[in-house]
Amino acid sequence: MAMPDAAEIEALVGYEFPGGEYTVAHWENFLLTECTGAELLPGGMVHPVVMFHMPIIGANTSIGEMFALGQAESDFSIGIESYDWEFFAPILEEVTYAISARVTEADRRGDENRVFDRIQFQFDVAKADGELVARSTITWTYGRSGNAS
Amino acid sequence: MQVNVGDAIPDWDMPRVAPERMRTMAAILRDPNPVHWDRKTVAKLGYGDRTINQGPLGLSYMVNMLHEWAGPYCIRRLVMRFPQVVLDEDHVIAQGVVTALREEDGQRLADCDIWLYFEGEGDRKGRLLEGTASIRLPAA
Repeated sequence: MAMPDAAEIEALVGYEFPGGEYTVAHWENFLLTECTGAELLPGGMVHPVVMFHMPIIGANTSIGEMFALGQAESDFSIGIESYDWEFFAPILEEVTYAISARVTEADRRGDENRVFDRIQFQFDVAKADGELVARSTITWTYGRSGNAS
Repeated sequence: MQVNVGDAIPDWDMPRVAPERMRTMAAILRDPNPVHWDRKTVAKLGYGDRTINQGPLGLSYMVNMLHEWAGPYCIRRLVMRFPQVVLDEDHVIAQGVVTALREEDGQRLADCDIWLYFEGEGDRKGRLLEGTASIRLPAA
């Protein structure tokens, strides 16, 4: 697979996903929490691990689309640099949140041994009135093995 | 709640990473990657015949540790890295230590190093996941 131009990757900065809404139903929180090995949290609080999928699905995108946006060579060419989750208020069951998302950083890195593109995505979870509830910043690396085009 | 720099956070034990939970999690996450539910796919990648735990599930064990230590609304920030995979049937332990204490907007915070420890086999030994957490502390 041909390597995309570095300029093409850098041009991803500022890309906005469609955005949308997400409501965590009780059944979803129940099953999600059970998978973690914990008891349900009090007061209808959603387990914080929801920050992995809620922002992505709520922004009307997918892991596959994020791979494709950075022209991933395969699912296995993706490396996780970090997940950064910030919580400003609890996320609650059966409450509808507004999700917005964008690419905040994108550049080519590496040396003669390894070349990769580093892309950072930022997802905001907000109440209906716009108050920010949580933020997820995902940084992935896209390994490149092909020749520059 | 009395907390000092250097305090260890009480361990949170996951005695068995269950493949059936990975399958439920794959459906919740809408994550079609077969490494989480198809042992034949994982074997082709050289990890043997055990499925790979989703990154967020490994992270969730550390979240559970923090909740049991400082309460269900304690997490202000988590930054996680995933240097090693967690496999089904692993016995892992969430651990952590307080590295700093500070105030932010009138709230007491404890900064912590956190990790997921595995007793190990071969190259997979020690900290499989690691990161930092900023924790809201209850009033002293």
